[in-house]
Amino acid sequence: MFTAQNLISVCITSILTAGLYAIMSYGLAVIYGVMKVVNLSNAGFLMLGAFMTMVYAQTLHLDPIAGAFLNIPLFFAAGWLVYVALVRRVRQALPIASLLMLFGLWLVLQNLALVVWGSEDQSIITRYTYKALPFFDYRVALTRLIVFSVALAVMAVLHVLLNHTYIGKALRATVQDPEAALLAGIDTERISSFAFGLGTAFAGFAGGLMTLLFSFTPDFGGPFQLKSFTIIVLGGLENLAGVTVGATILAFAESFSVLFMRASLQNVVAYALLVVALIVMPGGVASLFGRRT
Amino acid sequence: MRWCRRAVVGVFLLPVLVLALVTPGRPAAGGAEIKIGTVLPLTGAFGSSGNYFKQGYTLAIDDVNGAGGLAVGGQKYHLTLIVLDDGSDGTRSRSLVEKLVTDQHVNFLLGGYDTSLVEAQEVVPDQYKIPYVEGGGAASEIFKRGYKYIFGTLATVYDLSKITMNFLSVQIADGRLPKPLTIAAVWENTDHGKDYINAVTDEAKAHPDLFRVVLNQPFQLNGSDFSPLLQQVKASNAAAFLSDAHLPDFITMHRQYLQAGLYNQFVSYGARGPDQKGRQALGSGADYLVAGLWWTPALKDAASQLFTERWKREYHETPDWFQALSFETTRALLTGISNAGTLDGPKVRDALARLTLRSMLPGGVIKFQPNGQVATPYVMVQNLPGNAVQIIWPPNLPETRGATLPMPRP
Repeated sequence: MFTAQNLISVCITSILTAGLYAIMSYGLAVIYGVMKVVNLSNAGFLMLGAFMTMVYAQTLHLDPIAGAFLNIPLFFAAGWLVYVALVRRVRQALPIASLLMLFGLWLVLQNLALVVWGSEDQSIITRYTYKALPFFDYRVALTRLIVFSVALAVMAVLHVLLNHTYIGKALRATVQDPEAALLAGIDTERISSFAFGLGTAFAGFAGGLMTLLFSFTPDFGGPFQLKSFTIIVLGGLENLAGVTVGATILAFAESFSVLFMRASLQNVVAYALLVVALIVMPGGVASLFGRRT
Repeated sequence: MRWCRRAVVGVFLLPVLVLALVTPGRPAAGGAEIKIGTVLPLTGAFGSSGNYFKQGYTLAIDDVNGAGGLAVGGQKYHLTLIVLDDGSDGTRSRSLVEKLVTDQHVNFLLGGYDTSLVEAQEVVPDQYKIPYVEGGGAASEIFKRGYKYIFGTLATVYDLSKITMNFLSVQIADGRLPKPLTIAAVWENTDHGKDYINAVTDEAKAHPDLFRVVLNQPFQLNGSDFSPLLQQVKASNAAAFLSDAHLPDFITMHRQYLQAGLYNQFVSYGARGPDQKGRQALGSGADYLVAGLWWTPALKDAASQLFTERWKREYHETPDWFQALSFETTRALLTGISNAGTLDGPKVRDALARLTLRSMLPGGVIKFQPNGQVATPYVMVQNLPGNAVQIIWPPNLPETRGATLPMPRP
């Protein structure tokens, strides 16, 4: 259905979805950028973020948005602990060691959630869950708008953090050249633990926000993991600004694909983009501009 | 060396612990035993439904054990149910069913849940000549493969879709829905979904004056985001939205449907909608949805009411069709064994093929067709505010009331 109204509508959906995709991928990009570790437990923390937000809503009657913010310090501490207790010990080993360990951690988190909350679908319904706002001739889901706005705000905060604080500059230096950063007096070990904490905090935060859009089970997070990988590969793996571009490309590709092919093949778009990006553009979109952030 | 000792102890202890977890209570000393095995999705995407099935199977078996066991050929047998979890994974499901047969030496099998997992399991029973009765897979494809040991207590999804279309034609005739009714149909890309869409398109072809399908799109099972698909539903400007989805997809899709501000005069997700889990997850957003069901606690016949009350006492929740079907499926298997008067697989299979069992399912009888599937009638229900459910079809039931159509705008 190639009407102008439909195309505009698809564009609006794509832009809002891009916000969601970006926010769930920042954590993965931060950790990979600093440590070159693929954090497979990201999906587990995303899921845990959703469940913790549900716990706040049930016990403290906290709105999911507030719950997502409350997740930030909690998950930062959890990520820091995971780094100190587990990741640091295998960092010098072959990449497969950290990959398998973090995969194991994901399974542990998943089963822990299963024991605590069971396998049933959980959801949080607020006063605004089903609200849609009029936007010219269109209707926009309020929850998607909230997630998109928060993603923009987080991107702005991240930009300030990375460019105008010592820790941010140190983090960027470590991403660009860990050895040079060390020679310049940066405690790269501390930066790594900070990055793992920050990445995990992002996952917990994103998980909390995603309760506005989705119901969730202990398996929640898995389907989004592949999308996150695609996004960071498209973005250039260690390029944080590239995450936003990658998220936008994937969101538009998925939404527009439904106009041309069966919706059941929607996931194929992410797989195909991943393969194409790895072969044609291994440096991601960042390589097109020849710079790193 | 301490870690080494721990590892060795762990290696030996772990299987013992696992066995202790999966092996239920033993029969009384000296008593004969019948082992019934089942592989269910207790975790993963279908975890909720799988656990309902486990509860239903367990209740039916406990009933028989509580009454002294199952009478077979003049002897009483204690029933032991062995339940394994496939994690909603088809490959694991099939191998676990095989494991039940070869390692646990089960005498009979109860089915898994959801069409795709039942399809993965169904090759094993015929291989080992072990009767398998299931109430979790409704796609007609399950029963088209020529297997002799598979029996199903769910009427086919094709019939579900067909009765929905029949119901719609009456609503059109009554002037509650526009003529022709434009339909946006989306369906999970499985044999379950294919059954559903086939009946929709068959009926639309048979009655072009009544129905016009303006969108026909499959979607991936266990999807995470349906917003692009729903965008197309919106763009189709259809009066009716029909979707064939399992519980997790129904919850995700309808939540996103409401969030996107969509409205159709008639919305149905096949057999989903009145499920307690769905209503909890969607709140008032699930009000006025219409569903076709194999059973509902809204049925007022004595057997259904008795079961509903019993279930509430036992589990402190209202049962859905999952629980009723799993209970009746177990009863069907046990009656078949009892009727055969032997534990011999082929003879029990023949007894099941001849079975006529009074049941709480609509129609009142479980009787398998030559292909192994029942053909019980469906009831159609509509969700009402306050977690209520109203039977709206067939018209000949005393509890049937008129549907609220077009659906009120949220």
